[in-house]
Amino acid sequence: MQVTDAAVVAQVLAGDRDAFRILVERHSRSLYHLVYRMTGSSEDSEEIVQDTFLRAFKALEKFELRSNFGTWVYRIATNRTLDFLKSKKMNDTQQYRIAEDPDPDDSREIQLAATAATPDRLAISEQMKSRMAQALSLLTPAERVAFTMRHMEGRSIDEISKTLNLKSSAAKNSVFRAVQKLRQQLEPFASPAK
Amino acid sequence: MKHLSEEEIVLHYYGDADDEAQVKQHLAECSACRAEFERLQSLLSSVPSVEVPDPGSFFEEKMWLNVRDRLPEKPAAAKSFWAAGRKWALAGVMAIFLAGAFFAGRFWPGRPPQIVKVNAPVADPQRVVLVAVGDHLERSQMLLVEIMNADDKSVLDEATQMQARDLLNTNRLYRVSAQQAGDPRIAHLLDQLGRVLAEIANAPSQVSDNDLRDIRSRIQSDGLLFKVRVVGSEVNSRVRRMEQNSPAATQQRL
Repeated sequence: MQVTDAAVVAQVLAGDRDAFRILVERHSRSLYHLVYRMTGSSEDSEEIVQDTFLRAFKALEKFELRSNFGTWVYRIATNRTLDFLKSKKMNDTQQYRIAEDPDPDDSREIQLAATAATPDRLAISEQMKSRMAQALSLLTPAERVAFTMRHMEGRSIDEISKTLNLKSSAAKNSVFRAVQKLRQQLEPFASPAK
Repeated sequence: MKHLSEEEIVLHYYGDADDEAQVKQHLAECSACRAEFERLQSLLSSVPSVEVPDPGSFFEEKMWLNVRDRLPEKPAAAKSFWAAGRKWALAGVMAIFLAGAFFAGRFWPGRPPQIVKVNAPVADPQRVVLVAVGDHLERSQMLLVEIMNADDKSVLDEATQMQARDLLNTNRLYRVSAQQAGDPRIAHLLDQLGRVLAEIANAPSQVSDNDLRDIRSRIQSDGLLFKVRVVGSEVNSRVRRMEQNSPAATQQRL
């Protein structure tokens, strides 16, 4: 039977530092996915995931064993990403590009899922892709995080507001503003709904 | 009839509108808002998701190795105001004590210096060797993980090869030590590790994709990374046990 996260945390707090490895191995990949969706960079995502675990270890005493370690560390990662996005000023439109065949040397390139649209619904033209990239770049860090959490990760408004330490209305507003900006950029290039 | 705002329509798409029932009812009755909602629905359902590139099969291991090297000894204790206050109070007492000691030392009549015999703790040579071997295995593990995880052949650059050469030199010493100490398991592992390190250190300056593939398959076929990890962990456990059973630790407990 798999040892629970709470039991591992208790083990680490009792002095077994190496037991922390279990938590890193269990959660690092999902955190990497989350962070990558917000930063679009493998290197930055790895760095943020590592930093997240370092912070989690240092703050482990504050973790309540009844809580979910995955949720707790997810919040730390999201906040670290938010700080990172703010410091990097990711809303620079030159920073993002979208490509079907990403250049492995270019960490600023986002690859879009090839299964995004069926032919009869929406053809993602080259123009559409560049608009999408531009739209993503126009989002503020908070909007980008809120949109990723709500649209791509399916997280609730309650989770977003708790993670970003916002009121529920402010979290909703961040999601709305993100969608509004995406619409302004993408709608002129989308085919009309059938 | 008052139409729905853009915000209400967007939030309804995610099921987050303040009054979902009212929005639904309005959409059923108002064709203009319904058309607006359908337009949004069509757009958002076609927003492509960001495809995350696979970080590699050794990703978790790489993360742990990088995190472990930066971890403090133990998690920070939760600090309270009183704990912080006590800390400063203690610092104040210490400062007063030190100042008192300083002035007492200055004005107290001097005494001839005395030779004091100190029984310095003697390090257990076996433990010292094991600590060094553990460290060597960790560093080797990091190098191997880096190579297995790299996106392309550029990982085998000059710096990596130099690192492999350094590890190779120390590897020889530890292998001989392990043989002399009668530890065939570690000696055998270091022998295997040495062959791979030599291959990395001696790779041509212009490495091809095939060279990288060969090195990787050698690491994989020998199960080297796994063995290094397991033996490294065992060595560290032995070191910890020795530390716990050392006379100094026993004395401390008493």
